[in-house]
Amino acid sequence: MAKVSINNVRKFYGALEVIHGVSVEIENGEFVVLVGPSGCGKSTLLRMIAGLEAISDGTISVDGQVVNDVAPKERDIAMVFQNYALYPHMTVRENMGFSLKLRGSSKSEINAAVDKAAAILGLGPLLERVPRDLSGGQRQRVAMGRAIVRDPKVFLFDEPLSNLDAKLRVQMRTEVKDLHQRLSSTTVYVTHDQIEAMTMADKIVVMHDGIVEQVGAPLELYDRPKNMFVAGFLGSPAMNFIHGTYRAGDRPMLELADGQLVPIRPQASVADGTTVVLGIRPEDVVIDPQDGLSVRVSVIEPTGAETYMVARHGDAEIVCVLRERVVLNPGDTIRLSLASTSAHLFDVTTQLRLT
Amino acid sequence: MTDVTSTIRPAVGQASRKPGVTFVRLLYVYAVLFIVASIVLIPLVTTALGGFKTLGDLRTNPFGLPDMWQWQNYGDILFSERYWRMLWNSLFISVFTVVLTLAVAGMAAFTLAHIRFFGSGYLLNYFLLGLMFPVATAILPLFIRIRDLGLLDNPWGVILPQVAFGLGMSILLMRNFFRNVPQELFDAAFVDGCSYIRFFWSVTLPLSRPIIATVGIVAFVQSWNNYIIPLILLTSESNYPWPLGIMSYRGEYGTDWQLILAFITLTILPTIIVFFAAQKHIIAGLTAGAVKG
Ligand SMILES: Nc1ncnc2c1ncn2[C@@H]1O[C@H](COP(=O)(O)OP(=O)(O)O)[C@@H](O)[C@H]1O
Ligand SMILES: [Mg+2]
Repeated sequence: MAKVSINNVRKFYGALEVIHGVSVEIENGEFVVLVGPSGCGKSTLLRMIAGLEAISDGTISVDGQVVNDVAPKERDIAMVFQNYALYPHMTVRENMGFSLKLRGSSKSEINAAVDKAAAILGLGPLLERVPRDLSGGQRQRVAMGRAIVRDPKVFLFDEPLSNLDAKLRVQMRTEVKDLHQRLSSTTVYVTHDQIEAMTMADKIVVMHDGIVEQVGAPLELYDRPKNMFVAGFLGSPAMNFIHGTYRAGDRPMLELADGQLVPIRPQASVADGTTVVLGIRPEDVVIDPQDGLSVRVSVIEPTGAETYMVARHGDAEIVCVLRERVVLNPGDTIRLSLASTSAHLFDVTTQLRLT
Repeated sequence: MTDVTSTIRPAVGQASRKPGVTFVRLLYVYAVLFIVASIVLIPLVTTALGGFKTLGDLRTNPFGLPDMWQWQNYGDILFSERYWRMLWNSLFISVFTVVLTLAVAGMAAFTLAHIRFFGSGYLLNYFLLGLMFPVATAILPLFIRIRDLGLLDNPWGVILPQVAFGLGMSILLMRNFFRNVPQELFDAAFVDGCSYIRFFWSVTLPLSRPIIATVGIVAFVQSWNNYIIPLILLTSESNYPWPLGIMSYRGEYGTDWQLILAFITLTILPTIIVFFAAQKHIIAGLTAGAVKG
């Protein structure tokens, strides 16, 4: 268990800067998820923590000790890779015991540690097999076993579930989380899947193009995103963005491009006449025959518990998740209320949330 | 290795659904295999049979079965001390050539495949440059260098040049194979606490049996059949490997071809046995480069 501080870290590949000064504090025993679209630098950051990439600038410390120049094996960190990276010629037992063997532990120590880890992960019957004879989920579990055998200070996961099918992914998600609760070890978990991030994290770090957009607890980020990127990235289906002009008054309104006025929640700090972007989550949109935004229904998808509806207003597409059963057909014109208290206004140029 | 068979099996199963196509394909496959096999086998069989003939018989009937089976040709060779000594010399030179080639080429290839350092590209090209020069062109400087080292008429004087000449190809083959070891395996091993040397020993080598077998066999066969280097660098007959042994059957007035053929048959035999023993690995090493996880 350990505390990891990432302090203004940069990474250059030649002249190309892929990490632009990232700072994150990871507390003892915390499960931190680095999430962001592909290519935003998550793996690079993780590999710098592991010691597999040189740190171009800034510092990374583990328990207060700067580890920039410490070799991977001395950092006492374990990592689980996307493609499992099991040694193909070794049995599961040998794979899991390899790191201990390298440290010169005795045979009996290794066997005891491997058996203990295998019991935690239910790998007992597979110990004498080679990776080739395992399914994807089993390989993933062996990779995790290899990590926990060492009882390291920090666990790193790089998209460990992305090669699994959807059902197994959900199951392994729970297993990883369970494992963390059992071992309560400091964990940094990289994924591009915001659902994984939301369900697993104690703390989410949203990255984008080599910078950190926002850090916080999952619901904190969900409810109070700092900017349009975070707002649009977290949540599925994604948040709707509607451009317009803020009209202050007793009943604040959003004036759309076509002149239509739609009531929205009051925003004390926003001046009258500011061009803004209204962000509203699909589940916060409700049908309101009185004075909502007039839209044409284009797609209706009942899923049983809820109904997904896609509606159009001019160029803008609005996705709604309706809890109550409604009788609607594509082509119908209806009105949608955007007045939810959970809706946000964003500055059109800085993309920051206005409060 | 096992992958080879598993990829063939579904193909056969698929074809058996269309009987007409199968037959034509099978015919074609067998025809090609037959031709290739003949090209390899006819000289071998001719050589082996030639060893059972008398010189006159060989002259008049080079390809058929012997008139009278001259077992004595083979018997004389097998019971001569000379044959076994030459076989032993050949074996000694070949085994050490193989061991040294594998050790040196393996380590060089690993370094060139995985470690980026200043000048690594030039170094690789420098090794590959060696591929362009046949041994014969370097024979005079080689002789002088070996003489200066005091290794003339010494098996090591043959082994070292053979290793040097084999390095280019061996490094090229091994490097290409090592590069296919997935990068993630490397990362995992480093995080586990592996050093480069330990990774080479515990991960790369066990995964590289096919290429090791291939390079080893190629080095062995080349050394086993090498004529010019021993010819130049060995002087006393007690040090001769078998290709030089043939020379003694060439008399002043005529050559005992039947004895040469018998001798060749007996000396080729070990290489054939080695080849069959390692066949599986060689085929896999030449065709597949991928390491499957
Ligand atoms: N070895 C490298 N050389 C040059 N650019 C690289 C290298 N590795 C990664 N990159 C670049 O760095 C950026 C971040 O990569 P990565 O950390 O793998 O992204 P992610 O894991 O978030 O998908 C990408 O634009 C990628 O092209
Ligand atoms: Mg990545």
